[in-house]
Amino acid sequence: MSHLGDLQSLANSITAVTSPFRTYLNDLHQQYKSINEGAIADYIPELTLADPSWFGICVVTADGRVFEVGDCKQLFTIQSISKAFVFGLALEAHGREYVSSKVGVEPTGEAFNAIVLDEATNRPYNPMVNAGAIATTDLITGYSCTERLKRLLDMFKRYTGRDHDINVPVFLSEKSTGYRNQAMAYLMRNFGMVSDSIDQTLDLYFQQCSMMVNARDLAVMSATLANGGKNPVTQEQALDERYVQDVISLMLTCGMYDGSGEWAYRIGIPAKSGVSGGITAVVPGQLGIGTFSPLLDVKGNSLRGIKVCEALSKDFGLHLLNAAQPDKILADWLNGSGQADQW
Amino acid sequence: MPKVVSIHSYRGGTGKSNFTANLATTVALQGHRVAIVDTDLPSPGIHNLFCLEPEQVEKALNHYLWGEIPIEAVAYDVSANVGVNSGINGGGQLFLVPSSVKADDIARILKDGYDVKLMNDGFRHLVKALELDYLFIDTHPGLSKETFLSIAISHVLLLILRPDKQDYQGTAVTADVARQLRVRKMLLTINKVYSSLNVDALKQKVEETFGETVAGIFPLSEDVVQLASEGVFCVKYPEHSVSHEFQRVAKEIAEA
Repeated sequence: MSHLGDLQSLANSITAVTSPFRTYLNDLHQQYKSINEGAIADYIPELTLADPSWFGICVVTADGRVFEVGDCKQLFTIQSISKAFVFGLALEAHGREYVSSKVGVEPTGEAFNAIVLDEATNRPYNPMVNAGAIATTDLITGYSCTERLKRLLDMFKRYTGRDHDINVPVFLSEKSTGYRNQAMAYLMRNFGMVSDSIDQTLDLYFQQCSMMVNARDLAVMSATLANGGKNPVTQEQALDERYVQDVISLMLTCGMYDGSGEWAYRIGIPAKSGVSGGITAVVPGQLGIGTFSPLLDVKGNSLRGIKVCEALSKDFGLHLLNAAQPDKILADWLNGSGQADQW
Repeated sequence: MPKVVSIHSYRGGTGKSNFTANLATTVALQGHRVAIVDTDLPSPGIHNLFCLEPEQVEKALNHYLWGEIPIEAVAYDVSANVGVNSGINGGGQLFLVPSSVKADDIARILKDGYDVKLMNDGFRHLVKALELDYLFIDTHPGLSKETFLSIAISHVLLLILRPDKQDYQGTAVTADVARQLRVRKMLLTINKVYSSLNVDALKQKVEETFGETVAGIFPLSEDVVQLASEGVFCVKYPEHSVSHEFQRVAKEIAEA
């Protein structure tokens, strides 16, 4: 799987362990693991089984170095994070013009599950809210549901470098309680915004949300976007580089539910969160961040994950619009050189 | 700034633990705060040189790696055992973090392994908690996770070799690995050198072969052999030429 020799790949994994940057992440983990506010998502019973103490932080650089702290192997369902990547798949299959006829790119300021379409165009506002995500999932091509699901799973495999399973109890639970999403799908069908295979598309949508990932997967996925769509660990192209900026810009404006505006202002790293507690965040050209902690704030974003992204943004000047000299120079901390070489 | 020094040899029997004990003691006697971590989990031994008996070692590095105890709680102050007295010698102190010699504990490490990240975090924590000037890492011979980690983390890597072909080959492999790990500074020391060998020619040959500095050359010495595994040589014979050679190596490390 790796493009590196065994010695170099082992050496890289060890220098990632000894790097001051991992020590920095370890300190963040220590600092924020005591946060016990917020609540675990409970709209389906399966999600309430999460352990509130789970907390993983992973950062993967655009040149493929992996820094892990805490519960980075713990699996959870990807939920809304899938939406950003499925949008990329739809763009590859149909191009910008067609996709934009089916789903807009405006932030809503409404809750993620609001039943609302743009009055002028009948489109859902953007691919990161449920209605827009159902419309983009509808654009996944294939003759059968099996083929469409395979296309979806193959795409995630290119992003993460490994096979993914669907959590069947979560899928069935989402499906049996997803009246709101069904209502949205039928509303969009009424306006001709989705195909007539509504049940199949909804199944696919619930399956896509129920796919199992871990914090490391989320970091490799965002590092892939940061690296122009090419997975920096496996060197496989996961998304046509022309569409990378489409995905990242919508993550910036719409990725954090109705907390997106404040996120863009305060943290400024394009990101997508999910109700199971994951966040994937992209610093273009530099790195991907994956965090997992199931305690959520009122907007549905992981509390500890927000703290981690906020600290990284502030300390290393990773806000997209930052023009000030940061406290810490990222390259020094990754390589253990300069001022970062402190014991 | 604290300095981390790893001592390594590709093959066993090079006198690595003896060398580590003497070097660390020499540095502590100069008034520095020093700790040695014995990461030779499969075959620990350096505690003997500091007269630390197994019954005194309730908990060891193993227990830290199993998450039972903070690492500073298994740092034993052995200053008094080697005549390093913080009162007299201006603040020097010597700690040892031993590995467990209990067969069950060794078996558990071999069977279950451990998280190499914890070893790294432990080193860094120990340096802070004990306010160390120097951390010496004694390693298991050959290449392993601990070796890779200790090489990657150290400011100075000391490779010990004997003047024979097997050690030359193995040291070349280790030096390649060390460069891949972007080691900051590599020094070589040659141990167990027969008195019949021309020391200057040997030094020149080894430096040319490996492209690294030879920091010290130690004879195959009966004096040292007699005391080996019973105490720290440089404490008992401070004026011996071997003790002077340790001081030279210590100086080289201080300047690295």
